[in-house]
Amino acid sequence: MSKRIFTKALIPLVVLATPDTRANELNPDISVTLDGYYKQEDTALSHREKGFGLGHTELTLSSPIDDLFSGRLTTVFEEHDGENEVLVEEAYLQTNGLPASLSIRGGRFLSQVGYLNERHMHEDDFVERPAVYRALLGSHYYDTGLRVNALLPTPFFWQVGAEAFAGDQLTEGDEDIGVYTVNTRIGGDISVSQSWQLGLSYLNNQHAETADTGDGDHDGTEDEHDHDHSHAASYTGEHLYIADAVWKWAPRGNAREQLLTLSGEYLYAEDLNQYASSDDTHEGWYLSGVFRFTPQWAAGLRYGEVDLREAHGDHFHDQSLDETEVMVSWSRSHFSTVRLQYTHQSGDGFDNADNTVMLQYVVSLGAHGAHGF
Amino acid sequence: MVLLAGLASLPVKAEIQVFACEPEWAALVRVLLPDARIVTATHYLQDPHYIQARPSLIAGLRRADLAVCTGASLEAGWLPTLLQRAANPVVQVGRPGLFLAGEQLELLGAHQHVDRSMGDVHPEGNPHVHLDPVRLPRIAEALMERIGQIWPELAPQAFARYVRWRVSWNQQREQWRQAAAGLRGRTLVVQHGSFRYLLEWLGIKPVLDLEPKPGLPPSAAHLQELLAAPALADTRAILVASHQDTRAARWLSEKSGKPVLVMPGTVTTEPDTDTLAELISAIVTELVTVAGEGAGDRS
Repeated sequence: MSKRIFTKALIPLVVLATPDTRANELNPDISVTLDGYYKQEDTALSHREKGFGLGHTELTLSSPIDDLFSGRLTTVFEEHDGENEVLVEEAYLQTNGLPASLSIRGGRFLSQVGYLNERHMHEDDFVERPAVYRALLGSHYYDTGLRVNALLPTPFFWQVGAEAFAGDQLTEGDEDIGVYTVNTRIGGDISVSQSWQLGLSYLNNQHAETADTGDGDHDGTEDEHDHDHSHAASYTGEHLYIADAVWKWAPRGNAREQLLTLSGEYLYAEDLNQYASSDDTHEGWYLSGVFRFTPQWAAGLRYGEVDLREAHGDHFHDQSLDETEVMVSWSRSHFSTVRLQYTHQSGDGFDNADNTVMLQYVVSLGAHGAHGF
Repeated sequence: MVLLAGLASLPVKAEIQVFACEPEWAALVRVLLPDARIVTATHYLQDPHYIQARPSLIAGLRRADLAVCTGASLEAGWLPTLLQRAANPVVQVGRPGLFLAGEQLELLGAHQHVDRSMGDVHPEGNPHVHLDPVRLPRIAEALMERIGQIWPELAPQAFARYVRWRVSWNQQREQWRQAAAGLRGRTLVVQHGSFRYLLEWLGIKPVLDLEPKPGLPPSAAHLQELLAAPALADTRAILVASHQDTRAARWLSEKSGKPVLVMPGTVTTEPDTDTLAELISAIVTELVTVAGEGAGDRS
C-alpha cells in the first residue's frame, strides 16, 4: 500500500535521454580508421612498401540487429604496387546471449587463433605484425565460416571454441571446409594490478597439401610472392599449432596512468605440402613488451624469429629472419596515435632483409568500439 | 508482521550473483540485496573510463544474475566487450538483467552536439551521478523496482530495505545541508567532472578545470593559463579524485597557495567511507574544513 504512494509521489523514471544525438539509434555505428606511414627502406616479408603509403584503412559499420543478433561489416582499403584493393575483412552475424554461455559468429571474420590474430590491426603497438605472423597467417587471417564458442562454468575465465572456414583466404583449394580451428584460453587476475591470459590453438589447413608451389625451376622466374590476394599466407602447412601468453600490469590496476603489457606467441607448422618430409616445418615466435608510461606516451620493444621452408616445386629452400623493433608513440587522445619505429632485420634466404625507420599515424573517427584484453 | 511472514515463507534459493561495474553500485546493491555475492569490476583508485576488459571480469559477468553499471558512455571502452564475450543471456543491453543507472533519469550536461574536438565528452551527460544527494535515491528506487521485477518474491524485502535506507539518507542529507550552508557560492579548481553533482547541490562552483578538455591530461601550457586566470584567486582549494595523478594539482598548489584536497571519487574499502552516505559526509566535512566559513585566506 505504501509502495503505491511512493511510486506516485516520486518522479517517474525517465527512459529516454534528451539529446538529439540519441535520435539516430537505429543507424549503425560507423567508424573509420586511417593509417598512413612513411617507411625508409623495403624490408623482408613486409606488407608495407617503402616511401609514403597507406596502411590499414578501415571502414566499419556495426549495430545490434535485434535482441538476439548483432552484425558488423569492415572493409579495408589497401594499396600494393600502385594497385588499390578493397577487401572485406569482416561481414558477420554475432549472437548475443544464447543459453549456456554459447556464442556463435557466422560470415566473414578474423580467426581467433593466437593472441594477435583476432585483434584489429589498428590496435597494434607496432607498425607491422611480427615476422612469424606475416609469414604464417598473412598478418591477420580472416575467412568465411562459422565459429562456436562456449565459456566453461568455472569460477575463472575458460573459453573453448571451434571454427570452420572455407579456407581460400589462407590457401586456394577445393574443399568445402578448407580450414578448421580449435582454441582454448584461460585467464585471471594475479592481484589488483596484474592480469594474464594463456591460449592454445590448432589450425588444420586441408588445402595446404595440394597448394600450388610453382614449377621449382631456378631460372629466375621464381619468387613471385606477390600473391593475388595480398593476405594469403605464403607459408602454410596442414597443421599449425599456436601457444600465446599475455600479462598486463598497471599500478593499482589503474590503466589510465600506466600500463605495461608483455606478450608472446610461438607458432609451429608441419606437413607443409605433398612433397614435405617430417623435417620440413615452419617455426617462429615473438616476445613483445610495451610500456605506456603516461596517459599519452608509450615505448615498446619486440623481438621475433621465424624459420621457414619456402616451397619451390617439389623441394624447399630454407629461410630465416630475425627481427628487432623499437618504437615510441604519442597519443593526444584515445583516438589518435603517432608512432616512430626502428626495425632491424637479419636473415637468410631473403634478399631484402634490411633495417628501416618508420613514422606512422593511426587515427579513428566515429564510434569507437570497446577493445579486448 | 507482514514482512516477517513473507520472509518465513521464502523458498530456499541459490545465492544471487551480481556484477557491479563500479563500487558505488556495489554499495547500493549491498543495501537492497545484502546476501548477494557481488563482483565489482573497479575500485576507487582506478579510473573507470579506462578499464581492461580482462578475463576475470568476463568470468564474473558470465555467472551474474544482474549487472549494475552507469552507462552514459562511462564504460563504453570495456563493457560492450565484456557483454559480448560473457555471452550471458540474462545480462544484455535491453534486458532486465543489465541495469544502467544513467538511463534512469536526466543527467547534467547533456549535449545536443558532440564531436571529438571537444574532448572526450559524454553526449548523454556527466555520468558520475552517484554522489548526487537528490538523484541517487531515485536510482536506488529504480534499482529496487528492477530487483522486484527480476525476483518478485524478493520485492517486499527489497522495498523494506529501500525505505529504511531512504529514511536514513534523507536524515543525513539534512545534516549535509546544514553543515554545508556556509559553502554556497564558494569556488574550486577541479580535475574532470567527477564531483560535479555534489558540488552543484552544495552550491559550489567548479570554475577552473585542470584538464584542458574533458579526458585530456593536464598540460604545462594549460596549467600556465590556469595560474594566470583571474578566477583562481577566489578559489578555496583544488579538488581531485583519489584515482587521479596529483602532480598537476600539487604544482598549481605550490604556485598559487591553494590547498589540494584529494577525496575518493567513489565508495572505498576503508570502514569510514564504505557506503555512499559516509563518503558524502567525509567529502562535505573536508570541504567545510578547507573552504567553509572561517577557513581563512592563505595569501
